[in-house]
Amino acid sequence: MSADDNAFRELLDDYVVECLPLAERVADAFVELERLWRAGEPAEELLAATRGTLHTVKGNSAMMGLGPMQELAHALEDLTLRRGESVAAMLVEGAGLLVEQVRAAASGGDAALSAAFIGRARELPVEDPAAPAAAPERRRADRRAGDGAGNVVRVDFRRLDTLLEVLGEGLIEHSAVVEAFRAVSRRVGAVEELGDLDRAVVALEKTMKRLESVVMSTRLLPISTVFGRFPRLLRDIARGQEKPVRLALAGGDTSLDKAVLDRLGEPLLHLLSNAVVHGIEGTDERRRAGKPEEAVLELSAASHSGRVVIRLADDGRGLDEAKILAKAEAMGIELRSAEPAQVRSLIFLPGFSTAERVSPLAGRGVGLDVVAGSIHALGGTIEVDSRPGHGTTFTLDLPLTLAIVRSLIVEVDRERYAVPISLVAETVRAAPETIHEINRRGVTLWRGDLIHVSDGGALLGTPRAEAGPRRFYIVISSGGRRRAVLVDRLVGHQDVVVKGLDPTLGRPEVVSGTTILGDGRIACILDAMRILDQRVPA
Amino acid sequence: MSGDALLRFADAIDRQAAAAEAAPAPAGELHLVTFALDREEYGIPVTQVREVIRVAEITRVPQAPAHVRGVTNLRGRILPVVELRSRLGLEPAEATPRSRIVVVEVADRVLGLLVDAVLQVVKVPVETVAPPPEEVLSADSGYLGGVARWNSRLIILLELEQALLLQE
Repeated sequence: MSADDNAFRELLDDYVVECLPLAERVADAFVELERLWRAGEPAEELLAATRGTLHTVKGNSAMMGLGPMQELAHALEDLTLRRGESVAAMLVEGAGLLVEQVRAAASGGDAALSAAFIGRARELPVEDPAAPAAAPERRRADRRAGDGAGNVVRVDFRRLDTLLEVLGEGLIEHSAVVEAFRAVSRRVGAVEELGDLDRAVVALEKTMKRLESVVMSTRLLPISTVFGRFPRLLRDIARGQEKPVRLALAGGDTSLDKAVLDRLGEPLLHLLSNAVVHGIEGTDERRRAGKPEEAVLELSAASHSGRVVIRLADDGRGLDEAKILAKAEAMGIELRSAEPAQVRSLIFLPGFSTAERVSPLAGRGVGLDVVAGSIHALGGTIEVDSRPGHGTTFTLDLPLTLAIVRSLIVEVDRERYAVPISLVAETVRAAPETIHEINRRGVTLWRGDLIHVSDGGALLGTPRAEAGPRRFYIVISSGGRRRAVLVDRLVGHQDVVVKGLDPTLGRPEVVSGTTILGDGRIACILDAMRILDQRVPA
Repeated sequence: MSGDALLRFADAIDRQAAAAEAAPAPAGELHLVTFALDREEYGIPVTQVREVIRVAEITRVPQAPAHVRGVTNLRGRILPVVELRSRLGLEPAEATPRSRIVVVEVADRVLGLLVDAVLQVVKVPVETVAPPPEEVLSADSGYLGGVARWNSRLIILLELEQALLLQE
């Protein structure tokens, strides 16, 4: 057995050691839940704790590339948002399956078993129409909001920032405690006193998780606070352009961290005015095209799995790809392919959208490159789709919060980096024979597609410290984009508290921030979004 | 005062700095923290110095400017560390037990300067300071604030704003 195999096996062993008790705890909890529900007793606390545990199992499974466990845990998380006897029965059954799957992690899990269960869970009818099908926390929050002024206090947002900062320190200290505890128990072995400590550490972990979610929930505001000012602004812009435009808003109750929202208004407004000025045709042109005179701009938001997707669609003329190509040529930009998506994304390059013409609105000379820059700075992506004659759609994919990010910690040449787990599709043991080279770029076959593999060392400019080929690659993905990055070690995962990059550090492209790990060391946070962008070479 | 003693008296510097701010040094004196880089002695105003710390682990930051050594953990705060040697055109050097990080505040920014050793806190009469000789000036030598010749020593005064901020 090679060293690689050993390393992977060790990781798998760690996974089982860590996750099996968690899965068993979930199974116990669901049995208890069934009882509580039947007795009509409150179960919120148990549910919240169990969701946290499931989340950990999901994260660990994702990190190990154990899809069946990850998906199963995810499905169970979703199921906990529902109520009813058949739901409880399903939860108990699913948790049992999860325990089995985790125990047999060495075989990679049984995808068919997971899929069958998830399918049945999905088809489970809502048996009690009175039972809430939506997230209970949310309903509770709504109800609380509806309680009136009596329960609402005004708090300076800076105090919430301080709260978050203190929480961040607590999280760092907590992981230091966990790390120290693991080191001790490895050396000492199973001692009774350590069992108590173990339970205390586990309890502390749960409490920290809850504390984190409570603190985060205090920072969430509905995106309607940003959307709300758009109808009026848009009316002014449209009037100035003499184009009748209707703004259709959807998903205004989607919540985001206020810190994200504060930096979202400006770029969104630029996109809106861009759509009115460039996207939507003049009234005459619309009439000739057989379109209603009044143009429609649809702005919508929706959240899924820790991220928020915002779409802005106009029903205008669409992007003129021939014109973009001509301009790219004039600017001396080399195109790797003439694929429409590739061509369209050119509009986000510096100097591309501004040079065309300066309208009174775009008068500040702000181009789409600046918009894209702001979105990237928030850890998000922006993509554009377009159908000639039918309109243009911008899609923004943003993190829910900037403050605390569940991350996979990897090591490249003894340097540690944090990668936001929401962007890690899989971690894979990198067998050298599976990595190929085409036109001096690494590629590998992943889930049936050839994807680009970059060397983490080349990407990050590390001084070479490890001999031999790197043992793992992580697949980062967002939207349709994927890229694999070779690393030496997978260290673990951790909720990292994001600290920004001091201006003294310049403007690195491959990292977006820094964080302090459990051992007090600092790790840079990989800018996975930017790395997905093909413009970052290596 | 040796570098180590100075480290112990980092608080004292803080207090001195605070005092200096509250009651500005007499017009005739410059209140400096001096440190060694290669074979020379450099000085910066004590009011810009927050503290002096030992060199702990410094994490490299990819694609950071060449003169930035990385970041270090200063009691939970992430402190950028500038390798002053390379900023001043000297060969970078390995850290030694005498190496220190001088934590400075420049234009509302807090950062660390990696120096070979911290030497002294001194008060230097203003009249000992002369502009640097013209022959040593170059296009990017704006960070040279002057040279103090005092007690048969030569202290090069640094303009940190020029040295650290303008070239970004």
